[in-house]
Amino acid sequence: MSRLAETLEALSRAGFSHAEAYAKRGRSRRLSVGVGGRSAAFHQEEGWAVRATTQRASLFYAASGAPRPDVAWPEADGYPLAFPDPDAAGAAAPWSEPSDFETPLVGESEGLRLLAAVAAALGDEMPTARLLSAVLEDGSSESRLLSSRGVEAHWRRRVAVFHAEAALGEVRARVDLARREARRFGPAELARLLADRLAAAAGGAPQGFSGRDRGELVLAPAVGAHLLAALTPYLVGAPAADLAAAVADRRGRFAAAAVTVVDDGRHPGGALESACDGEGLPTRRTLLVEAGVYRQPLLSWAETAAGVRPAVGGKSAARPGGCARRASWRDPPRPAPTHLYVVPDPALPAAALLADLARGYYLLDVTAPPRLDLAEGAFRVPVCGFAVHGGRAREAVSGVELCGTVGALLRGVQGVARDLAFFPLDGMMGAPTMRVGGLELRAAGR
Amino acid sequence: MPSAEAPSPFADLDRAAVARALSQMVDRPGDWADAYFERLEEVELPAGEAGPGLLARREEGLAVRLMRGGDVWLAARDGIGPDAFADALRHVARVLPSAATPTPSLAVAPWDGAAAAPEVLAFPSLVLRGVRRRRAAFPLALTVRRHRRWLQVVGSGKVVAEAQRECFYSVVAQTSRGRRGALFPGLGEVQAEELADDLVSAFRGRDATSPEAWRGPVILAPAAAAVLLHEAVAHALEADLLALGGDPEAAVGVSLGAAALNVLDDPATAPETVRRDSDDEGQPVRRRWLLRAGTVAEPLADARWSAGSELLAPGAARRGGRHDLPAPRSYHLELLPGELAAAALLAEADGGLFLPAAESGSLDPLSGVFRLHFAGGSRVRGGELAEPVGRCRLLGRVADLLAAVVGVGDEARPAGAGWCAKGGQKMPVWATAPALLLEGVEVTP
Repeated sequence: MSRLAETLEALSRAGFSHAEAYAKRGRSRRLSVGVGGRSAAFHQEEGWAVRATTQRASLFYAASGAPRPDVAWPEADGYPLAFPDPDAAGAAAPWSEPSDFETPLVGESEGLRLLAAVAAALGDEMPTARLLSAVLEDGSSESRLLSSRGVEAHWRRRVAVFHAEAALGEVRARVDLARREARRFGPAELARLLADRLAAAAGGAPQGFSGRDRGELVLAPAVGAHLLAALTPYLVGAPAADLAAAVADRRGRFAAAAVTVVDDGRHPGGALESACDGEGLPTRRTLLVEAGVYRQPLLSWAETAAGVRPAVGGKSAARPGGCARRASWRDPPRPAPTHLYVVPDPALPAAALLADLARGYYLLDVTAPPRLDLAEGAFRVPVCGFAVHGGRAREAVSGVELCGTVGALLRGVQGVARDLAFFPLDGMMGAPTMRVGGLELRAAGR
Repeated sequence: MPSAEAPSPFADLDRAAVARALSQMVDRPGDWADAYFERLEEVELPAGEAGPGLLARREEGLAVRLMRGGDVWLAARDGIGPDAFADALRHVARVLPSAATPTPSLAVAPWDGAAAAPEVLAFPSLVLRGVRRRRAAFPLALTVRRHRRWLQVVGSGKVVAEAQRECFYSVVAQTSRGRRGALFPGLGEVQAEELADDLVSAFRGRDATSPEAWRGPVILAPAAAAVLLHEAVAHALEADLLALGGDPEAAVGVSLGAAALNVLDDPATAPETVRRDSDDEGQPVRRRWLLRAGTVAEPLADARWSAGSELLAPGAARRGGRHDLPAPRSYHLELLPGELAAAALLAEADGGLFLPAAESGSLDPLSGVFRLHFAGGSRVRGGELAEPVGRCRLLGRVADLLAAVVGVGDEARPAGAGWCAKGGQKMPVWATAPALLLEGVEVTP
């Protein structure tokens, strides 16, 4: 009998009517360079967790090491907890584990060489820039789950992240990226991203800027992804449909026809691609917004079972997403997006969105997280980018905020390009370059 | 606080044997090797009905580190045992040991029974009672956690630190106005009343409008002053952040603020349940003057940044856990009291703002631009607190803000501790501070 099965038996003997046991092992290498020097760290992580319920109360218990059926369980409290059946999220589509799950972790010298190459390439791109810090993490993990309701799952993950911060005088810029493995990062690409952001952030208010401007906007993928992350209250969880209805137009339309939003736990090549979610249920592609029409929020099996209203004015049944995510073995699963993204238009290059922009702005990145006012249905986010005249970038712009209502943002999207890119935010958030009207740039702090 | 009195699980750890094993890695002058053992426990009463009714986490592990010049190697394991230790040593060592060293036995005491924290379970009722006693009622969801941590650091020769322990509580209150967080070294009636008072004040000021962009006098109550000091003094004087702009030693002697500012970091005078006598590298902590009469006396440093320096001393290393590298960070800030009584502070700030607590703060170490966000406060009129004001923020360069201090209250009190998440390592910070009076600072909505 496995340790997980023994743990379930122990919980049953302790009086719990249902329980789930989860175990995870992982290895990762973290390499960094910075003003203090270089570091190389190697981590081996191992932990386990149970969720268990009686008729009246429940508990979550997590511990380091291998599962131990002989621990003294804490006293359950609060409310009972429901556990899914194996088919709670529907039938699983065929899926094969990607071959790159087998690739070895980046080596110490190999990773440090990549970081040194980023610093050198940044110097080539922008000689006066300094790389303040760069971190490369590469990891793999393996999880197992067993529940008294019959869920039995085993899955693996492989993910690498890169964080870097660079300075140009007093101006700073950072880049955060995630890929499936460290070898997919290229120093020239990373240096160019940093240099572009530094160039934009080094700008100021555009010429003739009176504090407000309503020009046409082109949002680079990083801006779109951060905005999408800020909009998750409208897209994820039981209250999302009602919130979405509140920002829909009079005809019930949620977004412009160019906007289709999907969450996909099996996004091919995605950093979090996996066959199972954190409750051992099969992941899937869930269509949330289709050509501007709100179809359903991303819902867990429990929310679907509770009969959450799926769509703005809709009556069709919502499909559960297989979307429980565990931040680590220390954390209970919670419904959350995996790869949430605006579906790109494969026929439209990003340059085409800029080419006919007579006067407007190309916003390259955010300089702080967006702030969303759910009560007002409005947002603001500090951004940097370039003023565009006649389809060409003319001057760097920063110290400004992109502001507007959520409805204006969603229904102001005039086109999406094909250059979908993902960023590690709350899950992987993805967007292609998008052209948007109806929003306003304001001087920061106004 | 019985939970803080729990004995160290590392009492029987053979530190000498660990030190001998570490010494095998040290083969060059200036090498530094250490082993870090930790045990953590968290008991959480969550808000709401969606998740489990009680959460308990128990973990332990170790890390072995070698520093050589500007290079650092670390190996961390989620478990404590001879095999994990030997494996970590192998990963970190740069050369094979010249002689075989017996692996230490690494005996660690078992956990003492089931994780239980009755004071955590009782706390929400105490807060709700406090709210009702103030004749207020509003939707309120509380998440209450008890955090316990034990750690033992063993160095390759120089470091012989006693095991350290910390016990504290964190509370997150969710209301329709947003989230408010608090850290407490203990948990009971006193803390419940303090939190209830804070929540009811925020509720009663819920419709207050933000002040227009404005310059004038501002009183920062002790909790808000503590956040200002943490962001504008402590972070500004961390050796690793100073190094982003140049030589950390160059900061010594620089006038950073008004002469009224005397600021120290002293983990040994922190609240009893989190008091420390050594840091997370096993170095003895020091009563470190950060600012003396507004002038930088000594930056915060750890072993890495103090190596080879005559001005930087270790003793201020903190690490989020075994998987993190240590970095210089403050632990318990003290702002020494001045001469202004509460009435005098209010009289001096006529027409200005009283800001009781900061929600968050941030410092850009390169530009020195500092932001402090407030959920609300009050106008000061005729020497008294008048109508409430809504959300606002205080913005400026560190040097300008600290130079704007024109008065310091005469009563320092434990205040405004909070979570600090520098470099992704989330850890509690503590403070003892009086109120501060600032003149001519910019407040924006």
